[in-house]
Amino acid sequence: MSLEKQEYEYLEKKIGRKPTKTELNIVAAEWSEHCSYKSSKKHLKTLPMKGPRVISEKGFDSGVLDVGDDYIVTVHIESHNHPSAVEPYGGAATGVGGVIRDIISAGTRPIAILDGLRFGNIEKDPHARWLFKNAVTGIADYGNCIGVPTVGGEVEFDDCYSNYALVDVASIGFGKKDRLIKNTAQKGDLVVLLGGSTGRDGIGGSQFASDSLESENRSAVQIPDPFIEKLIIETVLEARNQKCIKAVKDLGGGGLSCAISETADSLSIGIELDVDSVHTREPGMSPDEIMISESQERMLIITDKAKLKTLQDICKKFHVQCSVIGKVKDNKMMHVKKKKNTLALLPANVVANAPLLDRPTKKPAYLKGIQNEKKLKTQSDLSLVLLKLLSSPNLASKRWVYGQYDHEVGIRTVIKPGYDAAVLRLDNGKFLAVKIDGNPKHCYVDPRQGAIGCFEEACRNVVCTGAKPIGMVDHLQFGNPEDPEIFWTFIEALKGLADYAKHFDIPCVGGKVSFYNETPKGPIKPTPVIGVLGLIDKKPLHTSASQGDVLILVGKTKNELGGSEYFEYIHDFVGGECPKVDFKASKENMDAVLVLFKKNLLKGAHDCSKGGVAVAVSELCMQNNVGCKVSLDKIPGEKLSHDRLLFSESHSRYLLVAQKQKLAQIKKVLSQNNVSYDVIGSFEGDQIQFKAGSASVVDLSVDKVQKRWVRSLEDLVLHG
Amino acid sequence: MSTYTVHVTIENKPGINDPEGETILNDLVLKGNYSFVTKIRSAKMLKFTIKEKDKKSAEKKVRQLCDELRIYNPMVSRITVDVF
Amino acid sequence: MKIGVIVFPGSNCDRDMFHVLTDVFKVDAQYFWHEKKLPSNLDAIILPGGFSYGDRLRAGVIAAHSPVIADVKRLASRGLPVLGVCNGFQILVEAGLLPGVLLKNTLLSFMCKWTHLIVENNKTPFTNKLKLGQKIPIPIANGEGRYYADEQTLADLKKNNQIVFRYGEEINGSTVCIAGVCNKEGNVVGMMPHPERAVEPQINPIDCKPASLIFESLFSTIGVTH
Repeated sequence: MSLEKQEYEYLEKKIGRKPTKTELNIVAAEWSEHCSYKSSKKHLKTLPMKGPRVISEKGFDSGVLDVGDDYIVTVHIESHNHPSAVEPYGGAATGVGGVIRDIISAGTRPIAILDGLRFGNIEKDPHARWLFKNAVTGIADYGNCIGVPTVGGEVEFDDCYSNYALVDVASIGFGKKDRLIKNTAQKGDLVVLLGGSTGRDGIGGSQFASDSLESENRSAVQIPDPFIEKLIIETVLEARNQKCIKAVKDLGGGGLSCAISETADSLSIGIELDVDSVHTREPGMSPDEIMISESQERMLIITDKAKLKTLQDICKKFHVQCSVIGKVKDNKMMHVKKKKNTLALLPANVVANAPLLDRPTKKPAYLKGIQNEKKLKTQSDLSLVLLKLLSSPNLASKRWVYGQYDHEVGIRTVIKPGYDAAVLRLDNGKFLAVKIDGNPKHCYVDPRQGAIGCFEEACRNVVCTGAKPIGMVDHLQFGNPEDPEIFWTFIEALKGLADYAKHFDIPCVGGKVSFYNETPKGPIKPTPVIGVLGLIDKKPLHTSASQGDVLILVGKTKNELGGSEYFEYIHDFVGGECPKVDFKASKENMDAVLVLFKKNLLKGAHDCSKGGVAVAVSELCMQNNVGCKVSLDKIPGEKLSHDRLLFSESHSRYLLVAQKQKLAQIKKVLSQNNVSYDVIGSFEGDQIQFKAGSASVVDLSVDKVQKRWVRSLEDLVLHG
Repeated sequence: MSTYTVHVTIENKPGINDPEGETILNDLVLKGNYSFVTKIRSAKMLKFTIKEKDKKSAEKKVRQLCDELRIYNPMVSRITVDVF
Repeated sequence: MKIGVIVFPGSNCDRDMFHVLTDVFKVDAQYFWHEKKLPSNLDAIILPGGFSYGDRLRAGVIAAHSPVIADVKRLASRGLPVLGVCNGFQILVEAGLLPGVLLKNTLLSFMCKWTHLIVENNKTPFTNKLKLGQKIPIPIANGEGRYYADEQTLADLKKNNQIVFRYGEEINGSTVCIAGVCNKEGNVVGMMPHPERAVEPQINPIDCKPASLIFESLFSTIGVTH
């Protein structure tokens, strides 16, 4: 049992007696870190969560943003790290299932999925390759089967994830504002369990997520059934249409225990349920097992007695099982019975509100002097270095991954995977841009700046499609919070995110915290993953480049290579100055790009991130089958050595592609907006060329590089 | 009447390409130096629990079911029925 | 006059198909749940893509036993134009309305990408406004899209001009790159790629006209104005 001694005492005091075995199991599930957020809740309040577009309702699992014309967009992000590390196919697939159910809980239809995948070194570790391959298949099979397009995501590899997996899944929903399910319940309403049957899957799962991965516990894994999930989507949306839903909650971590206690608490009601009414798939399940089972594809619905028949008819049509398992009382108690015997009777607000912790923090010893660089070996052939980087797993094309995802179903995907952000068309003529970004290498070297960097990167990516950021979700993934050094990195990252969010007025509309991400080797690097949504009023910018177009770089390149792909992949060195976001420049550059977009002056925009300007330019060339000639002397910013200019990962930088004849107007806008910029090159020929004066620094054939870039990841995964 | 377990194994007919079996053989088994393996064919197995009067009827009825409901596609697959 | 879009448990592209018919081409369409009877006054039937019954056992096989299939067969035998897209194609094959079989892609993984088709038969209700040999930019998204026909079936297909579309490139191991076929009578057509995803310029970055002609062919055949 995972209740700490002081938690047990706190519970005893609150209820005035010793808890029963069932009560202990229920509370232990709900008070696990995964469900209760006891280490982080206090601190998460620093994130700004309000805004003119934000709609908050009681008991909502997803964030809701108003996108105008009586339409709303919902968003949610989740992870399934521990299960995916043990059984990647099922773990990743059920991760998709969980986040989709949160979207339909708001009464919106899911219209997109994004996945963030992180594994160990796939060049050296066959186990990492196995985890990666199967996680991708799991997400593909689930997302494709339910008919929701997976339109974007990230794939990254780092030694710190050895023997482990970070699987982040985000989903976006869309619907009419008047169909938003506002959770309410009154005495006499019925509590209905709908969906898959309850079995022994995942028993102890949420507690499992709160212990580290020392021993494999296969009973903690859940088996995915996307077919039932698809039926549930249709059932819930139909039930919403027919007004059968007064309140709804998806069952995730902690199963019924958490769903019931959280619902009762947020709606200030009592719920009385009989475990014998729960439809089970295995005989002889104990009441405790029924309460904490994490069987997938289940939803809790509170309905009016008068609407029960309609709900049952809808379930019958879609062959979805439903059982009335309880009723709503007004005593604010969570009452679990087995026929006439009371197994648990607890105040809902006690169960749903674990005593919060005030964990100590201590600046990690490893950070001392980490910004100092050691002497690095001079790289004489920078063409070779660029080729190596473009073929490396972190920078190579991810087409092998997204080619397995049906990214077209739903016919909303206007900008497909492979570009800066995915763009979906909405029913009111507007477009939604969405991207998730993380950078554990930066966050390890400087947790605060690294986290801000991830946030800015996600914003840059949506801005490149012409969208203005309107909301953010964050997924904060760290090691053991009981370690003050790790908790310090969590607090620092959170501070950074809160600062940026406040300054740029981008509300946090949802998120998750995932602690205890550790393997026998140690904790993972701090891995906050930030998702940003942007809104575009007119046709999005679909980046293209052709012979004769000019290339402009907005933003300064600085000597900040700490945590860069260049330092770590080429030099095998962890350390140096982490790129810092200059808030003023960030805003000016972002606004300038959006003005240029509004005035239709651009053919394309692409941000500089991992691999620096060299990789960003190469990507433009490879995607458009055109060469480029860049002058390193024109790159705005500090005077740096060639390799630093090419591979520095400074923030707030955008590559702009434009027709020659628009250049004068573009320069006018950029000067007016006070940004650092220069025309650094032009698209011509069929080589990627970087020159310093007349000397050639990089000279690669677009064709040759493209072949390597496209095939590299697939070759590695399939053929080792 | 007795209870029987009937295993229906569905596999591609010999002439039909079996990429799954080939991939497992070439990209996994042989790469792992298990050179004593010369061929792998993939198949799917369904295990039926049925009540019938004897083994012979059990087999006949299950075969009939598989044909009528197109449990396997006779153009490309064949079935092996084992009764226990 | 209307077009029926059949919905099975697990169908996903029914809404996409309905949107294209009613919002883009502005023709009358109606959903029919797989347990419903089909009215005799339908002008055409479309079986959309998706994962009916989660592709359990074999894609399309369980849906092929649905109550609505008897009606589809009856109306098809009367010459009604019937189109099966992706999973719809798989269902028509399993129901015996179209020859051949759809197997797992050679590369064993799901594939979502844009490709192009070549028109091989422009006499069907879905291709009569297209030219022979015309290229159609169109996306595929499937895991079991490898069309297989044994020697005899292939010979029959060729003899009776039943090959409707072929892929312009080797893509998933399909026999002679077959992407779509029709029945002997020519009124029932099945195709693996998704035409409904290729008719809007916002979504189809290449050229929407050819895929649109698939729909325009149908409308002119059944006399619907749009």
